[in-house]
Amino acid sequence: MAVDILKEKYRGQVREVVLGATKDEGGTRSHTIKVGGEKALPFLHFEGEIPNRPVVAMEIWDMVPDEWPESLKEYFKDVYNDPGAWAKKCVDEYGADMVAVRFKSADPDLNDTSADECAATLKKVLEAVSVPLIVYGCGKAEKDNTIMGPIGEAGAGENLLLGVAEQENYKSVASAAMANKHSVIAQSPIDINIAKQLNILIAEMSTPLLDRIVIDPTIAALGYGIEYCYSIMERARFGALQGDKMLAMPMIGNICHEVWSKKEAYLPADEEPGWGDQAERSPAWEAVTAMALLQGGINLLIMRHPEAVKMVKNNIDDLMKDNSY
Amino acid sequence: MIIIGERINGMFRDIAKAIREKDPKPVQEWARKQEEAGAGYLDINVGPAVSDRVSAMKWLVEVTQEASKIPLCLDSTDYDAIEAGLEVCKEPAMINSVPAIPDKMDRVFTMAAKFNAEVIGLAMGEEGIPKDAESRVALAMELVANCDAYGIPIDSLYIDPLALPCNVGQAHGPEVFETLRQIKLLSDPPPKTAIGLSNISQGTKEREIINRTFAAMCIACGLDAAVADACDEELVATIATARVLMNLDIFCDSYAEVYRTRNL
Amino acid sequence: MGLTGLEIFKHLPKTNCKECGFPTCLAFAMALANAKISLDACPYVSDEAKEALSSAAAPPIRLVKVGTGDKVIEMGDETEIFRHDKRFNHPTAVAIRVKDDEDVGAKVDTINNLVFERVGQQYEVEMVALVNASGDAGKFKAAAETVASKTDKNVLLMAEDTAAMEAALGVLAERKPLLYAATKDNFEKMTELAKEKGCALVVKGDNLSDAAELVDKVVALGHKELVIDTGSRETSKVLADMTQIRRQALKKVRSLGYPTIALTTEEDPREELMQAGVYMSKYTGVLVMNNDKKEHLLPLLSWRSNLFTDPQKPAQVEPGMHVIGEATETSPVYCTTNFSLTFYLVEGEVSSTRIPSYIISVDTGGLSVLTSYADNRFIAETITKALKDCDAESKVNHKKIVIPGAVAVLKGKLEEESGWEVIVGPREAAGIGKFAKTNFA
Repeated sequence: MAVDILKEKYRGQVREVVLGATKDEGGTRSHTIKVGGEKALPFLHFEGEIPNRPVVAMEIWDMVPDEWPESLKEYFKDVYNDPGAWAKKCVDEYGADMVAVRFKSADPDLNDTSADECAATLKKVLEAVSVPLIVYGCGKAEKDNTIMGPIGEAGAGENLLLGVAEQENYKSVASAAMANKHSVIAQSPIDINIAKQLNILIAEMSTPLLDRIVIDPTIAALGYGIEYCYSIMERARFGALQGDKMLAMPMIGNICHEVWSKKEAYLPADEEPGWGDQAERSPAWEAVTAMALLQGGINLLIMRHPEAVKMVKNNIDDLMKDNSY
Repeated sequence: MIIIGERINGMFRDIAKAIREKDPKPVQEWARKQEEAGAGYLDINVGPAVSDRVSAMKWLVEVTQEASKIPLCLDSTDYDAIEAGLEVCKEPAMINSVPAIPDKMDRVFTMAAKFNAEVIGLAMGEEGIPKDAESRVALAMELVANCDAYGIPIDSLYIDPLALPCNVGQAHGPEVFETLRQIKLLSDPPPKTAIGLSNISQGTKEREIINRTFAAMCIACGLDAAVADACDEELVATIATARVLMNLDIFCDSYAEVYRTRNL
Repeated sequence: MGLTGLEIFKHLPKTNCKECGFPTCLAFAMALANAKISLDACPYVSDEAKEALSSAAAPPIRLVKVGTGDKVIEMGDETEIFRHDKRFNHPTAVAIRVKDDEDVGAKVDTINNLVFERVGQQYEVEMVALVNASGDAGKFKAAAETVASKTDKNVLLMAEDTAAMEAALGVLAERKPLLYAATKDNFEKMTELAKEKGCALVVKGDNLSDAAELVDKVVALGHKELVIDTGSRETSKVLADMTQIRRQALKKVRSLGYPTIALTTEEDPREELMQAGVYMSKYTGVLVMNNDKKEHLLPLLSWRSNLFTDPQKPAQVEPGMHVIGEATETSPVYCTTNFSLTFYLVEGEVSSTRIPSYIISVDTGGLSVLTSYADNRFIAETITKALKDCDAESKVNHKKIVIPGAVAVLKGKLEEESGWEVIVGPREAAGIGKFAKTNFA
């Protein structure tokens, strides 16, 4: 029999969020990047428009990444003392669409870097590269609340993507975004209900922020509970297409820490001979994690390994080919 | 469940007056108010006292569309009036309603196919409203088979099992619930279901609590839409809650607010 | 699975003859849908209608089996689009290509060796895809002999030349291999072979519609143990086809109600891995690939094991004592539940303290800390039992155990029950870093 192609009728679509700002828009980026906006499930071009391809950002730190495995550090050893040069290498050599700066050194248990120093580092990175930036604190809420304001100010007008607003601690990041026209990462702990509620809380502070929120559903690595995130992402995407506007924000997956703290990514082959060559296995573990998230509907990935980035970008190229009937 | 806002109806004095005087203001105010309160459709009914139903319907549709972008539900037993309304609708609309009577089905389904409209079908035939669920379901099946024969997608058909006021037709209650459940087994995809919610409380003194409870119970049986008072905040909250409990919407603390503002 | 009234009605004569005892065909259809009467009561229903109605009552995607005995692989019989609605029943079977013009024995050895141990589970590749690359029936047969002697894995025989297929089947038929493929040119002979040997058969079209048409032709020849290859080879197109097949099959489009097979095309092993991952994610029943690298198959098979878990059942880690870093007899001992997400969170935080430690995961049936506490599975008695089961006393020279802050209330009872000193840890895993620094640094 001849087959009639089935297309789902959706009422809604994913919100489109613009990241970065050019000179005309009050920033200094050479271009902006749009994420989201799709009217179909991941890569099903035949049923609805998918205007923007998923974006791959690479993570850099404001200090030497001692805890990264040697095989990964190798790629950055000439630049990891200098965040500007590091960012530039990610963009120029490794093809990163965006750069995510993590102010790891602000951790009170590490260098306890001051807000002013973080702001100065951000400025250096802004000068070194022209792509839109993502910014993370050190991960300790008390300290991050004191640095995100000054960092937001230092990048005023650049429409940075600021991380992270959480249910118990969203006001400082959301305020920093409101004050200086940035966007916000709303992070929920593998919990779709909190993901939805957090968007509402942020929007209550400022309605225009609704179109500047990116959801981080919290990523678990491949082999370590990724299926929970996958299903939350699928539910959120399907919900958005069915008209749930409070879950319709684009989604970001910061897979760096989760992937690279797992044995499959960092163990040398001589410690687990049954798992094969490490030089291939490490990027493959990160790339397959990213592949699964792309199938779940992720719009923006933050990654570390240059070879994994290459694999994922090629995969996105293939998936963005029109498959209409 | 979707609320079909009931307020733009010539049975209400302000709307009857607006139609008489061609004053769009009250109509448009109610359109906006119902949309903001959470209605998914706006019922448009010219009322009993109008002499020229065709032109009244056309006018109501036009002025309502100036104030609101949600779809309309054209409510009349005069199919010429409905057809006139459909001609000026900018978005696909809903026809309210058709009983399971052959010549009426022919007229309405032909019209629905032409205008890509949804249809509310009444589970009643020549002999009026049946007593039990079994007869209601049999009439629903007539509607489904006809809808399919006219090439209209089955999920564009809303079947109304017909509720009677609970003070006079108490025995119909369980039959209505049973009908709602069985309708979902008639086809795959199944037809949708709709109900005139406030019928259930006609002539009683506790209208609001009866309407709200009835809504929750119907949603538990799979009800998809109701012609109802969208401005009853408690009713909207009840519906939002029932939807969450039926796993139709994803929960969050502010779920009721999310439901109310979903079209804004 | 029952039929709806409308589906039945469409197949009735619609004459309203009343001979069945019902006033209309519609009423009869509804009675039949409610199983109140049998189809035989209609004297005028046609044989085609009977056939259509009985096939419509079958599951939407046919269950197809390959192999025999305990090696049998089941595919199809899926009911969902999304795994969160209900578990996907049959994990994708992975087949690695072996060409009959290469060193078949060596390649089969490599495939036999693709077995992985991680997190207490064993993963393996379950099929050898033997390709008639030589175009020579004799070579294909010889290769089949080598495969038969070297492995007990299931076999996918890939030859469009029916003579070659027949030759290989002479060797391997009793293994019930999957045959690839019936095409528009060879389907009559290929179907005959598959029927004769009782093997499942891949039907390969030039596109989705074409494949559906060919399925109908093969079914008309009397063979229903089928697997669909739409012939698409671009990643994005295959994704679209697989999605269409799953959706349409679930809507009972019978020509597409079969499991599917996807073949990778990327030559670069890394890109092939990504392509394979996409196909596995979106519905393919059998995945055929070249890549036999352990370092690539480990992540792929790990994804399979995640994707095909039951979403209604919490994922669990093995209960017992887990060693973090170079732990010694002075290292701290933490305990938590064996719900995988909880455990991995705690494990991650403990390893980033960089203080070698032990974590005891208590068997709570995969429930989280507070839920299992409420359910009496994470209480003094069960934690004490876990300490004994893993012989914790012999591993460390102290008797101190850290419990989650959320169940601080267990302290007294647990000390009494176990004789260990209980240290109340932080409420959230995120607090472990600070806690460890204060207590153990």
